[in-house]
Amino acid sequence: MNPAVHLDGITKRFPGVVANDDVDLEVERGSVHALLGENGAGKTTLMNVLYGLYQPTEGIVRLDGEPQSFDSPRDAIDAGVGMIHQHFMLVDPMTVWENVVLGNEPKTWGGLRVDRAAAREAVVELSERYGFDVDPDATVADVSVGEQQRVEILKALYRGADVLIMDEPTAVLTPQEVEELYGVFEELTEQGKTIIFISHKLGEALSAADDITVLRDGVNVGTVAAADVTREELAEMMVGREVLMDPATPPQETGDRVLEVTGLSVEDDRGVEAVSDLSFELRAGEILGVAGVDGNGQSQLAEAITGLRESSSGDVRYRGEPMAGKTRRDRIERGMAFIPEDRQERGLVMSYDLTENAILGSQHDPPFARGGRLDWRASRDHAESVIEQYDVRPPDAGAEAESLSGGNQQKFIVGREFERDPDLVVATHPTRGVDIGSTEFLHDRLLELRAEGKAVLLVSSKLDEVQGLSDRLAVMHEGEFTGIVDPATVTEEEIGLLMAGESLDDESVEGAALHDDAGDGAGTGDAGDGDGADDSPGDEIDGSAGGGEGVDA
Amino acid sequence: MRNPLSLIVGTVGVLALLGILGLAFPESVAGDLAGIVFSTSTATSTARLAAPIVLAGLGGIFAEKSGVINIGLEGLLIISAFVSVYAASVVEIGSTVFGVPALAVGFLAGIAASTLLSAVFAVVCIEFKADQIIAGLAIWLIALGLAPFMSTVFFGGVNTPNLGASVGWRYSAALVLLATVGSWWLLNQTAFGKHLRAAGENPKALDTVGVSVSKVRYAGVLLSGVLSGVGGSALALSIGQFVGSGETMVQGKGFIAIVVYLFGNYNPIGALGAGTLFAGLQALQTRLQQLGYGIPSSLVETIPYVAVIVVLAFVGRTQIPEAAGEHYETEE
Amino acid sequence: MSDSDPDTDRSPSVLARLVAPFVDRSVAERLVISVAAIFLSILVGFAIVLVSGRIAECSTAAWTLPFTGIGFCYDPVEVYVVLFNGALGYPFAVGDPGLFNPGWSPFNLSFGLTLSETTLLIFTGLSVAVAFRAGLFNIGTQGQLVVGALATALSVLALVPLLPAGRVAGVVLIVVGTVAGAVAGGLWGAIPGALKAYADANEVITTIMLNFVAANVAYVLVLEVFRAEGSSVVATGYVPEYAQLRPWLFPASSDFALIALLVGVGFIGALYYFVEHTSLGYDLRTSGVQAAAAEYGGVNAKLTTVRAMTLSGALGGVGGAVWVLMSEGRWMASIPDLGFDGITVSILAGNNPIGVLPAAFLFGILKGGALEIGFRTDVPTELVAVLRGLIILFVAMPEFFRMIGRYAGVGGGGVAASTEPDETGGDGGETDA
Repeated sequence: MNPAVHLDGITKRFPGVVANDDVDLEVERGSVHALLGENGAGKTTLMNVLYGLYQPTEGIVRLDGEPQSFDSPRDAIDAGVGMIHQHFMLVDPMTVWENVVLGNEPKTWGGLRVDRAAAREAVVELSERYGFDVDPDATVADVSVGEQQRVEILKALYRGADVLIMDEPTAVLTPQEVEELYGVFEELTEQGKTIIFISHKLGEALSAADDITVLRDGVNVGTVAAADVTREELAEMMVGREVLMDPATPPQETGDRVLEVTGLSVEDDRGVEAVSDLSFELRAGEILGVAGVDGNGQSQLAEAITGLRESSSGDVRYRGEPMAGKTRRDRIERGMAFIPEDRQERGLVMSYDLTENAILGSQHDPPFARGGRLDWRASRDHAESVIEQYDVRPPDAGAEAESLSGGNQQKFIVGREFERDPDLVVATHPTRGVDIGSTEFLHDRLLELRAEGKAVLLVSSKLDEVQGLSDRLAVMHEGEFTGIVDPATVTEEEIGLLMAGESLDDESVEGAALHDDAGDGAGTGDAGDGDGADDSPGDEIDGSAGGGEGVDA
Repeated sequence: MRNPLSLIVGTVGVLALLGILGLAFPESVAGDLAGIVFSTSTATSTARLAAPIVLAGLGGIFAEKSGVINIGLEGLLIISAFVSVYAASVVEIGSTVFGVPALAVGFLAGIAASTLLSAVFAVVCIEFKADQIIAGLAIWLIALGLAPFMSTVFFGGVNTPNLGASVGWRYSAALVLLATVGSWWLLNQTAFGKHLRAAGENPKALDTVGVSVSKVRYAGVLLSGVLSGVGGSALALSIGQFVGSGETMVQGKGFIAIVVYLFGNYNPIGALGAGTLFAGLQALQTRLQQLGYGIPSSLVETIPYVAVIVVLAFVGRTQIPEAAGEHYETEE
Repeated sequence: MSDSDPDTDRSPSVLARLVAPFVDRSVAERLVISVAAIFLSILVGFAIVLVSGRIAECSTAAWTLPFTGIGFCYDPVEVYVVLFNGALGYPFAVGDPGLFNPGWSPFNLSFGLTLSETTLLIFTGLSVAVAFRAGLFNIGTQGQLVVGALATALSVLALVPLLPAGRVAGVVLIVVGTVAGAVAGGLWGAIPGALKAYADANEVITTIMLNFVAANVAYVLVLEVFRAEGSSVVATGYVPEYAQLRPWLFPASSDFALIALLVGVGFIGALYYFVEHTSLGYDLRTSGVQAAAAEYGGVNAKLTTVRAMTLSGALGGVGGAVWVLMSEGRWMASIPDLGFDGITVSILAGNNPIGVLPAAFLFGILKGGALEIGFRTDVPTELVAVLRGLIILFVAMPEFFRMIGRYAGVGGGGVAASTEPDETGGDGGETDA
């Protein structure tokens, strides 16, 4: 029997780049196939070829042995290939059924009217057949991310897809939702559908897929059965060398209390409470990690602390000083650095060159401004020093921010913020989109800051990152910390439970959070400017005991 | 008071109260006012004035829902107002073309002119990715120059002579109601309506299911041209003349139309309500003038404009389509 | 952007998205596009003149299409010759032997009128440009000019009886009048700024509405209260001559004071310095290109919005002051469309203060030339208004010129290169673990 999908010698070239180089890929009908690789390995390009978005430079796409030539995704859909993008292609204000039938609406009255009843029925029938639990009349904006994903799958099935391509399907899911998704995979393959999913997560490929194909630099490194391969072997295939998965966080005494958050509530843009009655504190020389599925209030928390969003209630104290009524500018001047998650929206002005970007946030302060006048020479020197220290490429202070790659943009932002000589660094997703080498470098810099006695609030959805770097790890769910745990001893399963909103029974783990309050009664009277020197080193934090233990990716 | 519809409902309530007061105390100021508000002449001039505002507003809904903000509605009204009068005068009142009377020919010509200009706007915005606000502004300014220019070429002055015949207010009212109901149907019941909404909210979602975003957006913009064309023709032909001096006879109605559909929250029924409200205000103002209430007309004329500002300040941002104003490019 | 970043999906506001690509384009490319847009507009205008010349009725053809014998009532070549040559006072001797007109002096009436328009357009152009740089579309310069002009006229007229007539009083009155215009225009501009900042009301709509309000309210005020006795039009009394900006070197009827143009050029320099070399200027233009980044950088967005609109309104108000003190000598109801022309000037200038100078001069020529067209040809002067719209339309569509550039293969660098697909590795997105 012919494989359901056979990519035969696919090569895809873009001007100056070979994204896929003679890639062969065979996928059996009714199987789950993982396409594994690092960022930029060519996974998405290959799937875009299969989905008709790109025409291959060389090679042939075969479905059930039949050669195909897709000029557009439309052709691929007609041939039974459905794509579920990482960012869902759903129209938020429309209902589930409207989204499912979009573009293929059943009609009555000679085409003058969409046949609602027929459309709903088709959606209900499909979701029953595959055991999906979705309300056809719900508005997409109101349903959970997991449900939105199922709506996307329904869309593909409604169009008669036999082969489903999913791009990073677990990126936005909680561990529990991921389990549900694996269940959906099973249901689909039992009924003869074929699934190819793109991933860069080893564990996911191993547990969900029947076969795994690893891509590296656009080349197929090999296809293996998930049952016959180990994690380490896969990692080596992906990276091409042995991987050290343990960033080292040496134990360290913490100092003064830098940030105190009490009863903080923050609303998001829609006026929905995103952070609910949150309390915690952060000390000099400490990294507090915040883990959680994206969209559980982490962004709003970081914005409220750094002065980009007003809190609806509660209190933020920075070095003992209440921050209520303090503007973003005030907080920058007091030594708060912020690495924003949306670097192209906030972190950099894309049309400015690096010289201009180097003073973003310091444009009123010496040495860059005197008497309201800007000193472009000083800012150019500053840009050049950041570029040199943080290895930003190309090393050109006159280059526009938008001409840099994502990783280099990020390095420049991180460099600019770190070089402010801050007391507090709020870093959200600091290594998102950054290649492995630069990620290691940025991790080292974060640890250096910690060693210098800076306080770091590290928000990341990369579990290994927050777990590996943090002294304490807070897990956030729907605006609350479901737990503050010792990253060294907590298991991935426990974090998963916390991310899903359940609390752990083990009181000793929660103790990490409560412990701070006990040891610092005197600090509240502190004006906040007496830094470091007179701090009693007696405070001991659970997290600092054994941070050296690494955690697997 | 975030919901603009509540404003319309509130206004209807105030009108009802005024009516009751007027009936109860016919001798009071309320009685006087009620007499004006509910007089037939106010009603007919409201219908006349509402036609261009509501129709252009409906057109604006289609364009903006599809993701193209059309602030050139004013220009579309101007060009159709002139062309309708010009075409009717070429045919000459009383004679027909293939059995179609002159005024109807004028109507069709006005619609055609407006649609043509909106097609230019569509090409510029969709094909050449122009900034929609600036292109819309250009459409307005072009029409603002072109209509008086052509009027001078053809008639020797920026104002055309009066045709000596006009379209009755009942036709205008019927057109408005028909267009409102039709628009509502098109937006809410047809597949095209769904596609329009998707094109404005998440064009990529529409593209990935194989519907051309450009085609949907072209349709949206052209519909704004057709509807504005009806509105502009109705405006000019209800008087029988095109006035091209200053801001022309359109006098900002295209801009009020934008506010009207923002008030109506992109709902044709809402646009009808808000448009009638503004037209009513204007009609009322004219009547007050005629009755000799000593308020300078220019001052009363500012009421709708001030109302627009005040309500905009209260209502603030409406549910503007997510992708409105953005260019969309299919990948490859 | 090598990684098709998910971050870019979340855009701040519709208007910011609209304005951003417009504000941040390279200067060279803008220059090329502006020049091309002007030529294209002239070309289209040529066609319009031809077509309407075919439709219009006249006894003798003004122009015949070569080789065909088809006659046209309007001569499109003549129109443009009159437009550009006339605006300068006919320095070129068309048709006669010799290229230059020997009797030509730069200090002629037509050129004076052209420069007078140029001066006014510098102020309104700067007004629109400064708002644009802050990401705000101020269509209300017209209203701000109307209000500023009225404030100037009224304040000067109020002060005249208090000061002894003379040169010193004239200088004082001119300064006070200009400041009054700036303050009034600034306040009028601050209204939509505040509405935008604190009530989230779209400034495009509010400024358009405020234009109508300004025109009507000013009209009523003058009609009912400040109308000069015995005036046949709705206008205030005249400002005494010593308090006017009187023509110098140029004929008195040109209404062009060189000093006003020099002040305008000074404003251009000052504004350029402000935008490029001061902290507040950095705040302002950063808000314009990327509001979210500006807020991140500690810029108070609301305050910047109000500031920018106030500054913009003040510049419009100064334009109004110059119009009163230099052009009319009084406030009158029929105020020309200087504010709307300011939009065109600013867009043509790429919202760059330096670019405002040539753009204002070009529009000065169009305005001055329009008068000549009215005198010397049968073509309706509204042609110039059409050209204005066309120029904006073409400047708004850079992609069109890029396409032409690509077809012609002359895309050398700036024009063509920027739109190449830069999808490289393909694997975009984030790397969550």
